[in-house]
Amino acid sequence: MGGFNPAVKLEERIRQALNDEFLRNAVKFTTGRLRSSKQQAAEQMGNWEEWRERGRQIRLHTIAHLDYYLNQFVQNLREAGGYVHFASTAQEAVEIAMQIMEEKQAKSVVKSKSMVSEELHLNDAMAAKGIEPVETDLGEYIIQLAGETPSHILAPAIHKNRQQIADLFSEIGGEKLPADTAVLAGFARSQLREKFLQADIGMTGCNFAIAESGSFVLFSNEGNARMCSTVPRTQITLMGMERIIPSWEDLEVMAAILPRAATGQKLTVYMSAINGPKRAADGDGPDELHVIILDNGRSQQLGDPEFQEVLNCIRCGACLNACPVYRHIGGHAYGWVYSGPIGAVLTPLLNEDQDQWGEVANASSLCGACYEACPVKIPLHDMLVYLRRRNVEAGRTDATERLGMKTYKVAVSSQRFYQLALKLGQFGQKPLARNGEITAKVGPLEAWNRLRVAPALAKKSFRDSWKELDMELQHELVELKPETKARMEAILRKRGNSHEN
Amino acid sequence: MKTEKKSVIAELHEQSLQKQETFIKHIANRLGREQPLTTPPKRSVSGAVDSWRTHTLDPEERISQFLMNWESLGGSAVRLADMAEAKNYLDRLIGEMKAKKIIREDHPELAQIVSESPDLHLTVWGDKDFAAMRKAAAEAEIGIVMADFAIANTGTLVITSTPQRGRSLSLLPTIFVGIVKAKDIQTKMGDVLSVIQTWNGKEMPAGIHFVSGPSRSADIESDLTIGVHGPSIVHALVIG
Repeated sequence: MGGFNPAVKLEERIRQALNDEFLRNAVKFTTGRLRSSKQQAAEQMGNWEEWRERGRQIRLHTIAHLDYYLNQFVQNLREAGGYVHFASTAQEAVEIAMQIMEEKQAKSVVKSKSMVSEELHLNDAMAAKGIEPVETDLGEYIIQLAGETPSHILAPAIHKNRQQIADLFSEIGGEKLPADTAVLAGFARSQLREKFLQADIGMTGCNFAIAESGSFVLFSNEGNARMCSTVPRTQITLMGMERIIPSWEDLEVMAAILPRAATGQKLTVYMSAINGPKRAADGDGPDELHVIILDNGRSQQLGDPEFQEVLNCIRCGACLNACPVYRHIGGHAYGWVYSGPIGAVLTPLLNEDQDQWGEVANASSLCGACYEACPVKIPLHDMLVYLRRRNVEAGRTDATERLGMKTYKVAVSSQRFYQLALKLGQFGQKPLARNGEITAKVGPLEAWNRLRVAPALAKKSFRDSWKELDMELQHELVELKPETKARMEAILRKRGNSHEN
Repeated sequence: MKTEKKSVIAELHEQSLQKQETFIKHIANRLGREQPLTTPPKRSVSGAVDSWRTHTLDPEERISQFLMNWESLGGSAVRLADMAEAKNYLDRLIGEMKAKKIIREDHPELAQIVSESPDLHLTVWGDKDFAAMRKAAAEAEIGIVMADFAIANTGTLVITSTPQRGRSLSLLPTIFVGIVKAKDIQTKMGDVLSVIQTWNGKEMPAGIHFVSGPSRSADIESDLTIGVHGPSIVHALVIG
């Protein structure tokens, strides 16, 4: 299946993405739209930073006391009549889910978006047992028909154009459908309506689980999560063990930041709180409710001062939309379930095989835009540095890079060496530099320039220019009116204070 | 009645009770505790930011903000004096939409305003079995419910599930009509959540649905589509 092919190396995956012009434009367009909607929503709120800090505090507290809150959630959910299961690994979760499905003699299972389900490769396990998994989120439905995997946490079919979708739908519909959004969505609605009404089991993910009542909450715009938790007689919900919040009042904060950070909406069209299976006299809702709580590498991050905060993530996708690397290469290049900056951090953390996945942490520019975008302020850029350090310490770097770093270490260890290196560089680049750029794939620049363009060294270094600059600055300051100068200094002081983070 | 062989589900449940202990203890150990915490941890902050907690609108402002937000989400919103006006509104809607089948919550006030006629088949929730109810809701052009609350700030109707009011009513029909009393419109979500919190335990309904406008998707080339799985036409009627 596309996207989950670990035989293809990171660099090759990136090359494929960069050569797909539609993909690049679509990703840029969609992430741009989501990002500006988010910025607008945050501005409208007026005190976005205050909400962000509150969101962070709630997540920090919950994760630091996860043992208590998880027990509380489980106890309350059982009292409401639900079944709870614990899975330490993906394999265990699959086994539990399959046992339930087989016990129910399920033939088809309707699913609403769940990243945990992707982690488990549950659809493959179901297909192997002759059970039909039906993805019901419109984007997920499209990529399931195409035999692919999600490329964006919120917009999974970001990489497919209308014509490709029309072709996929025409094939299963047995008639030629026009590449028209309304027609295509209408076709999917009627196809999936049938599937919902026939399904034996509804499967959902979980956005938040409320400890004090044993409830869990699903956010959706299309209504498919509601369908999955309303129509079939049995419901299975997959939940990462860190999805907990303590109380209903905390839900107000999550409901304020998740949709805004994700799409710029004040609230998704549907927010559904599910509190156990249907009550005896209710006319609909599942008779039986199973919640599978998954660890799968998450507990390894607990107690680790560098990475514990990654469990604060609320899966909004804002870091993807802000990331210059994601915006160029899209989601599949990251190779696993999660993409973008959060994927570059989670992939090496949740997978054991570091030779396979460690390098994903390199798919980032360390610019910090992900941190700025994150509604719960996870320092993703710092985590990426820690992961890279792990790779270096474990020797998972190539010989050229190690030699380069050693040379660099010598060059910057004394001023004389540094200036010498600079002069050599300025001389050496002469045949290669054009318009301030070096594109030649030679020597130490080969690996870098295969996928990027290196900037040429400036003719005159900053150090060389410093004397002139210094004099200009002195001169300007003298010319400032005393009151203007005082005002500017006050502004600078104030700005300094607000930059504590 | 117990058979000799335990069901798979009962076995899984027993397995889960055992696993819970090691699973949670492992988490506690990773967090530096020998045993899991059993007393509620102290919290320095919880819930919404302080300035928002005190935010409240007067009743008239709540109504106008709710109507405005619901409309801006792509729904129709109207304020009516009483249920008699609601009846007129519904009659007109049924006529305009040429509706043949409708379904409503089993509610005394709705019984006054929605009734069957030779051209109109009406299903009242709760008077048939599960499969028949589901079929009726899926085939109905219009589903009508009384909402528990509305939220002004987000343009949201809050609907709990009860034996008289199935979840399907606000989900399966093409057109959804939610009726809310003006006094039940709250300023912000927190005002509703603090009521829900008091239901913790036995009184909690199995489903609480927050609905803000028509079903939508942008999954095809970022192009906004209305009415993917849920209703595409949504009417909010504020009474009083």
